[in-house]
Amino acid sequence: MKYSILYKILIITVTAAFIIINSACSPPIEIERTDYPLPEDVEITDASLGERGEIFILSEKSEPNSFNFLSIEDAYSREAISRIFDGLINYDAIEEKHIPGLAKSWEVSEDNKSYTFQLRRGVLWSDGEPFTADDVIFTFDAIFAKAPNPETGILEPRYPSRYIGQYTIAGEPIKYEKIDDYTIRLTTADIYAPFINDVGFVTIIPKHVLNESFKDGSLLKRWTTQTAIESPHEIVGTGPFSIYSYRPGERLVLKPNLHYWRADKSGQRLPYVSFLIYKYVADFNTQTVLFATGQTDAAGISATNVAWISESEKRFDFTIHDRGPDTGISFIWFNMHPGKNKDGENYLESHKLNWFREKKFRQAVSYGINRPGIVKAVYFGRAKPLSSIISPANKKWHNAHTKKYDYNPDKSKNLLQEAGFTYRNDGILADENGIPVEFELLVPDGSQRSSAISTTFMENMKAIGINVRLSYIDFGALIDRTGKTFAYDAAMMAFTGGGDPSGGKAMYRSDGFLHLWHPEQSEPATAWEARIDEIIDAQERTLDESKRIELIHEMQNIFSDQMPLIYLVTPNAYSGVKNKWNNIQVPPIGSILWNLDEIWTLKDNG
Amino acid sequence: MGKFILKRFLSIIPLLLGITFLVFILMYAAPGDFLSEARASKDISKERIEEMEREFGLDKSWHIQYALWLKNVLTLNLGESWAYKVPVEDLIGQRIVATLVLSITSLFFAWLIAIPLGVLTAIHKDSIFDRLTSILAYAALSIPEFFLALLAVFFAASTGLFPIGGRTSIGHDFLAPLAQFFDYVYHLILPTIVLGIGGIAGMMRIMRANVLDYLRAEFVTTARAKGVPEGWVMFKHVLRNAINPLISAFGFAFSGLLSGALLVENVMNYPGLGQLIYSSFLKQDQYVVMAAVVIGCVMLMLGNLLADLLLGWTDPRIRLEK
Repeated sequence: MKYSILYKILIITVTAAFIIINSACSPPIEIERTDYPLPEDVEITDASLGERGEIFILSEKSEPNSFNFLSIEDAYSREAISRIFDGLINYDAIEEKHIPGLAKSWEVSEDNKSYTFQLRRGVLWSDGEPFTADDVIFTFDAIFAKAPNPETGILEPRYPSRYIGQYTIAGEPIKYEKIDDYTIRLTTADIYAPFINDVGFVTIIPKHVLNESFKDGSLLKRWTTQTAIESPHEIVGTGPFSIYSYRPGERLVLKPNLHYWRADKSGQRLPYVSFLIYKYVADFNTQTVLFATGQTDAAGISATNVAWISESEKRFDFTIHDRGPDTGISFIWFNMHPGKNKDGENYLESHKLNWFREKKFRQAVSYGINRPGIVKAVYFGRAKPLSSIISPANKKWHNAHTKKYDYNPDKSKNLLQEAGFTYRNDGILADENGIPVEFELLVPDGSQRSSAISTTFMENMKAIGINVRLSYIDFGALIDRTGKTFAYDAAMMAFTGGGDPSGGKAMYRSDGFLHLWHPEQSEPATAWEARIDEIIDAQERTLDESKRIELIHEMQNIFSDQMPLIYLVTPNAYSGVKNKWNNIQVPPIGSILWNLDEIWTLKDNG
Repeated sequence: MGKFILKRFLSIIPLLLGITFLVFILMYAAPGDFLSEARASKDISKERIEEMEREFGLDKSWHIQYALWLKNVLTLNLGESWAYKVPVEDLIGQRIVATLVLSITSLFFAWLIAIPLGVLTAIHKDSIFDRLTSILAYAALSIPEFFLALLAVFFAASTGLFPIGGRTSIGHDFLAPLAQFFDYVYHLILPTIVLGIGGIAGMMRIMRANVLDYLRAEFVTTARAKGVPEGWVMFKHVLRNAINPLISAFGFAFSGLLSGALLVENVMNYPGLGQLIYSSFLKQDQYVVMAAVVIGCVMLMLGNLLADLLLGWTDPRIRLEK
């Protein structure tokens, strides 16, 4: 009797296990899609016709912090939101130009300051309510709303976000007005070239859902991760997907938005895939392994991992696309801040300040770096020496003819001697007062690559008589020391790049807070920094793109000559995608899944 | 009894103050803060950073920050996560079930194995079986948890018998309720074993020593002499007494219910509290970390209290009042 019960339990368990294993392999993924009529201003894609179905699986390092575009600051949240919401303008990554989004067209006024947008007619939010100019106005209202501070009574942003700064042009917030239900006009206080680019960053939010919270002041508390868990249907957008379910720390499952405004040539509404799933995997190596073992459909792959992953290309039927150089830049810079700290001491000993502010010293250091060596040893050849402040990946803006610093220790030594440095008998470099040249380099810890690069740098500097001490510190501490206390000699860092060069203003301009070597100058400290400020202003005030490119090229020439940032190398970027997906178009820069709504695959019959 | 419990609850107050104070100072002294990453972003303006500093109170000195936090906690407000813009208790609520389930299953797993093994090794003292179990137990005790977790992930990846981390499979949302349940179970097996194995060795050794002690006790000899059946002797006299120390061990286990799985969760990508706490700590999302510390502390106290109460209940020789 006892045994028969045990037996039954065993049988049930085994059967259940089979059900799971089978269902885990081929979950019942088909969903019923109601085909609502297409909107009046539907956008028909040129992409080849596909068929609906299947799941697209991606892995991300970090889960979204919120689904409210006003309260997020990080790239992972932005990625999730970009699939659910739209802006007025989209970006065609292949053609590298701005294309209509929720606005079907736009016109620029004669004085180049006002932009009139015609909105798409007939577009519905994912809950079926119509999208109109009121929603756009509401979005800008939410960004610019002000409320008096309860303590001081001074008007302050009611929903503080980064967008207030972004849309304050020439000191004034942009003006926005509704002309009619499908026309809006945005006006800038001055001519501002990257405006169309920046407008694309604002995701339009629905007035009919959020107006209550906007009025009672709780707008930033809406659409948190808690909402996505408990009632995902409350998060309403116009993008290709809406939320199906969200499990914190595990995954976000997106389903097609049945009211999306794009369709294919046969009039079938996009997107093709039945589900888009983001798996959250904290460890980058695990993410890479997931792709390499066929468990995710696409992944970005770092240059150092390409070799071993490509070995399983055939087995799991994927392709690794070589995207050329990455958009980011990596560099070393010297502290050139002449200021004093609270106790009245110089941030930097005056002799060091003299070295670092000497252009020939910086150039000599640059000639002394063996970049081809770093490319070979650290990246196994999958990188290129970097020669400009804008990465060659950003083809439109990159200047390929800036001054180059090919590895040449002899030239380094000559330059240093020209600048008044001398070599002692033991080969150590000393300045004109006989002080041996040595400095400390701060390196963010945790990355094997940056430690390999910094070690090479140290050896290279030793060869030209300079003693470098490496200090591996926490990234937060590095930011603190280079941006707040200025207690450092030199540091190493990398920035992501891409997009409009005006996005790098905080670094290029002498009053910018990321003008790393000497931030927030009240007056440009040098003539060349003054010229760069002029260039930045001038290129923003012309809508003539060729003129802008010319100016940005000049800026890059100045930077490469002055070497405030000593560029290192830029690794190649790689993206892998499974071969079963059609309509994949690999753009020069940016996400390989920029047209995810058009991607499709044959139904898996196996 | 009531007085005893009240005293225990009062004693937690200075403890909590001390620990939270220490953690706060450590977090403050650690380089960088929650905004470190934002400070290095090109597209976030200086004004926005300053605004956020004011919003989070990071512009104030640490003792004012601590006082503010304390004031909020006294009104039962644990604050809001800076990253998620959600009240901390909601954030913890999102994860607590996953961790509780894992802790409880691993605890049961450990007990289920440790107690019978302890008794058997004591009965068959010095046999090959006893020796072998001891060796295995020491081996299990000396392998660090995270390493065992890594081995488990490797095992899952190379055999394909178990899922590589996670709590549910990709298609979980599309499964029938029963299949969903079994999906949970399937994902729980490896983490349960990994988390439980460390506890087995210790408890088994305690159990073995106790059973050996009581086997030689005079009342056991008396019982046998009276002709009480051997099974009865073992169960009623030996086991009943030998299990007492394990009850206090249960108290400690209880304290680790919410925080004990931190390493395993992170290595095996199990979406519980441990993972949240770890990532919050890296991001320096202050209020989440503080809440985690408070919870850990309170659980430890409750666990100890529970152990004492249970002991008082099972062992008539113990009087809690004094």
